[in-house]
Amino acid sequence: MKARDLMVPVNAFLMPGDSVEEFFTNIRVVRSWEKTCGIRSLPVLDAEGKLVGVLSMHDILKAVYPSYLYETDLSLFTWDGMLESLAPKILGKKVAHLMTKGVITVRDDHPLMECVDHMLKHRISTLPVLDHDGKLKGMIYESEVFFAVADALFGGKE
Amino acid sequence: MSPQAAFWIATVIFILAYALIVSEKIHKTIVALSGAALMIVLGIATQEEAFHSPELGVDWNVIFLLFSMMVIINIMRPTGIFEYIAIKSAKFARGKPFMIMVVFSVVTAVLSAFLDNVTTVILIAPVTLFICEALELDVVPYLITEALASNIGGTATLIGDPPNIMIASKASLDFMAFLNNLAPVVVIIVIVYVITLKFIFGKKLTVKENLRRRVMAMDENEAIKDPVLIKKSLFVLAITMTGFVLHGMLHMEPATIALFGAATLLLISRIKEPHHILSEVEWTTLFFFIGLFIIIGGVVKVGLIGLMSVKVLELTQGNLFATSMVVMWFSAFASAFIDNIPYVATMNPLIIDMARQLWPDLQGTALLHHPDLMPLWWSLALGACLGGNGTAIGASANVIVVGMAEKMGRPISFKRFMLYGMPLMIESVIIATLYVWLRYYVLHI
Repeated sequence: MKARDLMVPVNAFLMPGDSVEEFFTNIRVVRSWEKTCGIRSLPVLDAEGKLVGVLSMHDILKAVYPSYLYETDLSLFTWDGMLESLAPKILGKKVAHLMTKGVITVRDDHPLMECVDHMLKHRISTLPVLDHDGKLKGMIYESEVFFAVADALFGGKE
Repeated sequence: MSPQAAFWIATVIFILAYALIVSEKIHKTIVALSGAALMIVLGIATQEEAFHSPELGVDWNVIFLLFSMMVIINIMRPTGIFEYIAIKSAKFARGKPFMIMVVFSVVTAVLSAFLDNVTTVILIAPVTLFICEALELDVVPYLITEALASNIGGTATLIGDPPNIMIASKASLDFMAFLNNLAPVVVIIVIVYVITLKFIFGKKLTVKENLRRRVMAMDENEAIKDPVLIKKSLFVLAITMTGFVLHGMLHMEPATIALFGAATLLLISRIKEPHHILSEVEWTTLFFFIGLFIIIGGVVKVGLIGLMSVKVLELTQGNLFATSMVVMWFSAFASAFIDNIPYVATMNPLIIDMARQLWPDLQGTALLHHPDLMPLWWSLALGACLGGNGTAIGASANVIVVGMAEKMGRPISFKRFMLYGMPLMIESVIIATLYVWLRYYVLHI
């Protein structure tokens, strides 16, 4: 099986100039439309349809999380309501500002083990799939590959 | 090569390196290493001189002292001791905003006297951001006052700030000499600094009662991750500090003491794989020093520094009080705008050269510790360390807090930093001036 056989077609995407609120609207649309694949991220495309980044739930958490907590061990001292009071800080921010840039991608005719390789080495759970011309064709999520493993073990889809 | 050609080549390398370091177009460590390589390749200094000469080469005393202190801190960091100290301090200040500013500033100053300033700020600033978040306070004044306090505190001891480490090594001055001569004035400067903060911020900072409770509810004991390692670290730190106090009497260099401390802690901390401890050592800083020492060695060898010292003495007409004042104030303003490390690396041989001209018959410590020369060393240390407070780029600690504030979405402009930093820097140098004048030229103690 190749990447293209597993990928989920792109049904929703963001533009760099969109505000972050779009993510919440679209992620819900995707979630209700495609219940099984656990989509946690959306591709970000520029005006020409070129992939410029990915915005994921992880990125949203990172934007809410204050950077000083990275540098110390203070999580024990955080207080009730801290997350809720910091969350509004991301309102109105542009997608381009929060998204992950320089995303690792995979070509649609490449094998699945390459996808796993990228996911493990770079600790990512989403891989945009590009065709020969560099155009985004779909997304492969960790869960997709997991199901491919399950199929290999227990003999395909019922 | 003719001596004249060597003089000009070395001078050009030196000026170019300085200009590139100031411009920040190329990373300073790359500049220093390139300059050093050129000095050797072009035959200004031999490799033997660059690597092994105590006068012209790398000052390994400085390198090993810095390296060893970095290793000790890298082992201590994950234990939670610094988070413990910071939370304890915030609670000691009872969550009151101005008291927190004072306590954090004083704690930063004291820690900076014994640890590297950058390390101190990296440890304290994130907790400050956290506490300010809890109290819903503007963090910017806190970050700036801490950076300033760290540079002031670092002035107090031999190991507090790299300029002092460099001066100590070149002038063969011991830990107690620094403590005796610099700590008293630093204590005065810190007291005046806190009083000044009271005038600037005393009434401006307020906090809601319910938010204070957030801080008071924190249990600092929970911060401690590894109590056994804390005990071991404090034990080693105590031995190391005792070693520093006694190193003059023991006839050991500070680097020997620090290396012994670092090695002991590595040994007893039961770290199986020292890889991560060593990889977190700031090698870029250490190699910046190494490159710089070789460049300075080159210009010392060709006589540029000697020439500069003649000019300075001409300017002050051999009056040592005037010279020490010029050194202090020039050092302060120079350090406010350029890195004080290359500056002090240049000034050290310059002062030694001046001493040679004044007392041609003397050698060794008789020359370096000539009673009339001593105030010059202290003026250089005070000027170079305190001067860093003048601007946002004057000291590495300032650069760190500005970077942290920016990451938090609260950028501190060059102007805003200078608005606090410059007057407070001038205030501290005025105090230092009065101190040097009174102690060494009036009271002679």
